[in-house]
Amino acid sequence: MEVYEVFRRGGHREPFEHCGNVIAPDADLALLLAKECFLRRQEGQHLWVVARSDIHFFSDESLLELAADKSYRFASAYRDVVGKRERAHERVRELQAS
Amino acid sequence: MTYEEKLASFTSRIDAGEKVEAEDWMPDDFRKGVLKFIEMHANSEIMGALPERECLPAAPSLKRKMSLCAKIQDEVGHSQLLYRVAEDLGKSRDAMYQDLITGKSKFHNVFHYPVHHWGDVAIIGWLIDGAALVTQAALLESSYAPYTRVLKRICSEEQLHLRHGEDITLEMSSGTEKQRAMFQEALDRWWLPIIHFFGPRTVVEKDLLLRWKVKTRTNEDLRQEFLDRYVPKITELGYSLPVPVPFRQDGHWLIRDEDIDWRPLDAIKRNDGPETARRLGARKEMYDTHRWVREALAEPSVRAA
Repeated sequence: MEVYEVFRRGGHREPFEHCGNVIAPDADLALLLAKECFLRRQEGQHLWVVARSDIHFFSDESLLELAADKSYRFASAYRDVVGKRERAHERVRELQAS
Repeated sequence: MTYEEKLASFTSRIDAGEKVEAEDWMPDDFRKGVLKFIEMHANSEIMGALPERECLPAAPSLKRKMSLCAKIQDEVGHSQLLYRVAEDLGKSRDAMYQDLITGKSKFHNVFHYPVHHWGDVAIIGWLIDGAALVTQAALLESSYAPYTRVLKRICSEEQLHLRHGEDITLEMSSGTEKQRAMFQEALDRWWLPIIHFFGPRTVVEKDLLLRWKVKTRTNEDLRQEFLDRYVPKITELGYSLPVPVPFRQDGHWLIRDEDIDWRPLDAIKRNDGPETARRLGARKEMYDTHRWVREALAEPSVRAA
């Protein structure tokens, strides 16, 4: 018997989402069990099962953190756009007046 | 089921607003058309990294250099996502790359032009990414589902690029007369290519991708949305627009078809733009010098040895 992780997709626009797992002797039976456990009420249109032993992950999650200040990768770095827009418009008025 | 029956059922699925997955049956014309369209988008992302890369030494501060680097990295990342979606339609990445560097396939017109100074970064980040976002946001509703899923990520990153570009634009616009003149000079050079970016009027009855809802809107409709959104912003900043000059009518900013000179775009379609040969040469050189990386990745055991 093996643990199979179950992924389900609601519609074509959605990504597959992890929704739980089942224990089964093979992939076919895992799909059947997953359908009965997680898709009894049309909660999705697509179902995947993946043997847990086939899933790879970082054993050290700190590797996923940013190694340095990379605030420029985030929209919050450009939050002051309204103020900057006003300053630019002010500058235009100043130039037009002179 | 005969081919005609399959085609009829496919067409009715599309008409009902259903989406197509890579593993679904699809007519050859659909597969070829979507592949060509996504391949062109992927090519444009990877070629689009080059003009901004050329501007990196002109960055006025370390902070601006870092943020421009991050943006270039995003564009290359978009090409990786898009080439992967295209590959699932039946053409290998290597074949797509070969066709790009030998000039058999195309990339967007704006990346065939030279860059001169930091004002170009403002225009590319604000107006060209703004134009790209108008077209890409329309594609979020495309009938080819794998494309829409990567576009979600691409559009959210393009939103950030737009902020980045507007930030640079506003900084230059609030600055000295020399800074403002740089922006105006860049705007004068880029305006026609930006108008070309959306393409000539769509011939609706001949456009299969529009028929199959891979594309959702006509070129002129997207160009109109861009003009209505950006012309007021540009003029509010005190800049003037060169030919083709938009004019206000019935609540819209319009450009007359006859005011658009299409000859530069026709040259680019023949891969004969101002910077086409040099940029494709740069890509080819990278392809050649990075061969060892591809080989090492293909044979991890050799790499470990």
